[in-house]
Amino acid sequence: MAELLLDSSIRIWVVLPIVLITFCVGIIRHYVTQLLQSDKKVDLEQVSDSQVLLRSRILRENGKYIPKQSFNMRKQYFNDAETGFFKKVKRKVTPKNPMTDTSMLTDMMKGNLTNVLPMIVIGGWINWAFSGFVITKVPFPLTLRFKPMLQRGIELLSLDASWVSSASWYFLNVFGLRSMYSLILGQDNAADQSRIMQDQMTGAAMAMPPDPNKAFKSEWEALEIVEHKWALENVEEELMSRDLNFCELVLPD
Amino acid sequence: CYIFQKGCGRKDCHHILNSSPSFDNWNVLIIVFTEMRDKLRKWREDNHRNSEQIVDVGEELINEHASKLGDDIWIIYEQVMIAALDCSRDDLAWTCLQELKRQFPGSQRVKRLAGMRLEALEKYEDASKQYDSILQDDPTNTAARKRKISILKAQGKSAEAIRELNEYLEQFVGDQEAWHELSELYINEHDYGKAAFCLEELMMTNPHNHLYCEQYAEVKYTQGGLENLELSRKYFAQALKLNNRNMRALFGLYMVSSHI
Repeated sequence: MAELLLDSSIRIWVVLPIVLITFCVGIIRHYVTQLLQSDKKVDLEQVSDSQVLLRSRILRENGKYIPKQSFNMRKQYFNDAETGFFKKVKRKVTPKNPMTDTSMLTDMMKGNLTNVLPMIVIGGWINWAFSGFVITKVPFPLTLRFKPMLQRGIELLSLDASWVSSASWYFLNVFGLRSMYSLILGQDNAADQSRIMQDQMTGAAMAMPPDPNKAFKSEWEALEIVEHKWALENVEEELMSRDLNFCELVLPD
Repeated sequence: CYIFQKGCGRKDCHHILNSSPSFDNWNVLIIVFTEMRDKLRKWREDNHRNSEQIVDVGEELINEHASKLGDDIWIIYEQVMIAALDCSRDDLAWTCLQELKRQFPGSQRVKRLAGMRLEALEKYEDASKQYDSILQDDPTNTAARKRKISILKAQGKSAEAIRELNEYLEQFVGDQEAWHELSELYINEHDYGKAAFCLEELMMTNPHNHLYCEQYAEVKYTQGGLENLELSRKYFAQALKLNNRNMRALFGLYMVSSHI
């Protein structure tokens, strides 16, 4: 367990430059992505469907503010066995195969290019340029298994695994500067790599579920079980029981 | 200087707005251009339709302080243009439109403004064609559709306007402005049942808005019949519960209760 004293020039010439490099590359990546981004064509049907689903949800939540008859009328409009909207309308769903759909393919390629490539290139360069010494110590203890990963280029068996090399500092920065990016570039910026990696992991994560039929079915089920409990049942008594506070209404003459 | 106040008699003040009733409560002293710009922004965000004031302030801002505004100037152009159309200031509207066209050549938003200008000049055919061209490029553009419907309304063809608005709402069910407009059209046609339906949509999406409750209650009261009167009373009471300063609701409650 060694308490190493690091040369302070490491701090000036290695730690800070890596931070700066990561930050600038992130900003550049954001702008490049914006330039290369193609316009998303919104389908009329999708918009319409999403609004219908919204309306049905509002009906479920706030239906108690409208009279019973109106509520039942709407519920029947949506849910009726033969003529109900959710039962009748079946959207033709073409599952978007990422391999064959050209626009998605180019989007994926662009995403890969702007995100993964710089990371690999710069990671490699940093590894080559700043190798052979430890940069910093992470504040929490690590097990020995992390040693080969975090201490590339330093072959010291007795060195604590908390002392890390420049490559790991670079990766730390990549993830850590995410909040800085959202501060500077606003939410939903293209420099946010971890979010992109998450998207890739979850697969086809699109804005509108690619299967509106499923959405309709779940909405139908939800609407079936909703009962109408009129909120205005006793509103007059409630109004009368409270002090109406009309004194403020008298205008000073 | 700009003193929006009744009876400002100073000789050097060249903008005296005297008899307009909307200025009775305005004691606003607008001197510096930053204040003018902030005033415009406030009106823009609150959706005020005080077109004369906007035209005055905006014209001065554009003519004298254009360089200091930076990128804000484009949205100010848009705001001033719409206000100018309201005040029949076609010259001002035309200049604003030219600037916007120069800066944003292919923009749908600018095309919509051009269409609005044609509407203001009563060239409804041309305006309609303009909106159709916008819709060809982008079928989901709601603004163009709504302008087409308002053309029909301006021409007095309310039956067609109602039909078009219904079709629009079939596709864009969530558009509250449109529901409100439809309820107004139905009230004008005395079709209170359908107006009530539209207001119910509005009440569902905005349950805490006392004005919708009150309008709904009024429509139900106008429809008549014991059931409707009872519903009307309940909704007037609800409107009062949400906002006990709503005089109309209070009066409505009184009227309904005395009728039942």
